[in-house]
Amino acid sequence: MAFLEIDRLVKRYGATDILKGISLSVEEGGFLVLVGPSGCGKSTLLSMIAGLDSISEGEVRIAGKRMNELHPSQRDIAMVFQSYALYPNMSVAENIAFGLEMRKVPKAERDKAVAEVAEILQMGHLLKRKPSQLSGGQRQRVAMGRALVRNPQVFLFDEPLSNLDAKLRVDMRTEIKRLHQRMKTTIVYVTHDQIEAMTLATQIAVLRDGVLQQFGTPAEVYNNPANVFVADFMGSPSMNLIPAAVRAENGKTVVALQREGEGDLVLDPGQAGEKLSAVLGKTVLFGIRPEAITDHDGADRNARTLVDAECQVEVVEPAGSDTFVVAHLGGKHVIARMRSDVPVRAGHRAPFTFNMDKAVFFDPQTEQRVA
Amino acid sequence: MSAATVGARPAGSRVLNRIVIYGLLLVFALVYLIPFFVMLVTSLKTMPEIQNGNMLALPKDPTIQPWIKAWGEACVGLTCEGIHGYFWNSIKMVVPAVAISTLLGALNGYVLTKWRFKGHKLVFGLMLFACFIPFQSVLLPMATVLGQFGQLGKVFTNAFGMNLGFGNSTVNLVFVHVVYGLGFTTLFFRNYYEAFPTELVKAAMVDGAGFFQIFRRVLLPNSLPIIVVTVIYQFTNIWNDFLFASSYAGSGDVMPMTVALNNVVNTSTGVVEYNVNMAAAMIAALPTLLVYILAGRYFVRGLMAGAVKG
Repeated sequence: MAFLEIDRLVKRYGATDILKGISLSVEEGGFLVLVGPSGCGKSTLLSMIAGLDSISEGEVRIAGKRMNELHPSQRDIAMVFQSYALYPNMSVAENIAFGLEMRKVPKAERDKAVAEVAEILQMGHLLKRKPSQLSGGQRQRVAMGRALVRNPQVFLFDEPLSNLDAKLRVDMRTEIKRLHQRMKTTIVYVTHDQIEAMTLATQIAVLRDGVLQQFGTPAEVYNNPANVFVADFMGSPSMNLIPAAVRAENGKTVVALQREGEGDLVLDPGQAGEKLSAVLGKTVLFGIRPEAITDHDGADRNARTLVDAECQVEVVEPAGSDTFVVAHLGGKHVIARMRSDVPVRAGHRAPFTFNMDKAVFFDPQTEQRVA
Repeated sequence: MSAATVGARPAGSRVLNRIVIYGLLLVFALVYLIPFFVMLVTSLKTMPEIQNGNMLALPKDPTIQPWIKAWGEACVGLTCEGIHGYFWNSIKMVVPAVAISTLLGALNGYVLTKWRFKGHKLVFGLMLFACFIPFQSVLLPMATVLGQFGQLGKVFTNAFGMNLGFGNSTVNLVFVHVVYGLGFTTLFFRNYYEAFPTELVKAAMVDGAGFFQIFRRVLLPNSLPIIVVTVIYQFTNIWNDFLFASSYAGSGDVMPMTVALNNVVNTSTGVVEYNVNMAAAMIAALPTLLVYILAGRYFVRGLMAGAVKG
């Protein structure tokens, strides 16, 4: 039995279901990230775990114990809010100690706990200040300190980094990961940023319109997306999704991509071929991540099926460490990720290497995975 | 009009604008200040000087005797002990009435914004309605209610030897002012707490604070601006109230200041002592002035800075 279990959870406002039966579970010490576009219900789900929103149907269990009817303060959780929600009238130390004070922890113990947390987060010098005297990053730290000091069973984070600037966000992300490795406390973390989800999570749950799209490890979600939505949402730049015809050629199943002004680009789908033979003659969405389309020398040596093909290059975008090369295939812009010093030029033909081990295929109608 | 044409305006017309604006301001300031000036100088003059002199002239020989007389010897009706007793009557009425109505208004605002229940809009609408009821229309019903209080007081006196405040004129006035102040104080606090970040309340809930702990530790300490506004508003209204005071405590030594002042000025025995009347009126107006000067200093904005976001 998992540590935190979310069992067929439904949230209903009037006749509208905001969450439509979500089931998830995390082991103790796990890091669950709820990710999805805004309005997908991820923050509502977190609020329901916290007890700040009521549960219409289903059950939330922590360590096997039903939480539905318990007040937030009795669930042994701590929460970091998007706005930090620091009490403006209290000093940093008072903010951190407030939860302990409410639980009637003696003053001496409180002071000790605050000092420990300040040590962990390196903010001893800030303890006497008021929240208004802190920078965004410092407030973020205090908000985390307030959660840490309680030493709860589960930490809940509601988009904690969304108010920070880009550089600080990366720093704090690392800091949260470090804290998690050190504390080994179960965390549920809400974000709309798929990179945060990938870097932090041990388990990712992708939500959309109140429906769980996929639940798995970051690698699973990234490499084996369950549907077009997950494929498109995770990863930046996002996965190339190209309409392709499934054909039989010389007794093998192949996929053919339309090219402008020349013949189709025919690719061997590798291991996916067997499953694809079931949809022979139909059109599928061929999904391949930019890093699986490379220049010839940059391709993964261990890949089993590498296909070389020449394509017309539309745009070249050097990004320092890599160069993104845009081509036109199957009526779509296709992004390839090549080495930075690759000698391709816009408007010319260039050789591309497709790593077909990484290719995924979706039904264009149902948007579900075919192979 | 574009910025360029504004900048190209002749300097002469701008000066003229200023003269018109400041001239008007000066005229209005004078209109408001002259009566006050007359009151002040008259209260510092002797009676012969008032009778023979110019109203606007400065006192030739300033004296605070009228103030002392107003405070300690002026006749209110038939008793000639000055207005100081009535001054304290007013204080005893206004302090609890302001404190209770402000606190209850804050509590109402807190519940109506952070602990919403079905029909909260209707409840708030009805409370707002209280702001629009003319006070004259409630005089009689309220008198009936206060009469019942008096009866209850008598029952308590027979049972415990004390009336527990029921039937006491000051308590009655406090009750009336709390009831009729609630509409306004609730309105003030509800609108303030509407903009108060709900995440703070949620954070306090997760931290284990209860309903009243959240109110006392999180909401109230961050409500200083609206508390000041409410206190100034309520204090001024209640202190200056004449209608309720004269209706429910209009005679004897329970009168509040406003009624007593009226009786000082309306006294029909002997010469009209303008200087004493003016001094009494000034004394009656002092507390509201003082509250405004003292509390106004705490009218600070931006107290919520740093609560949320960066």
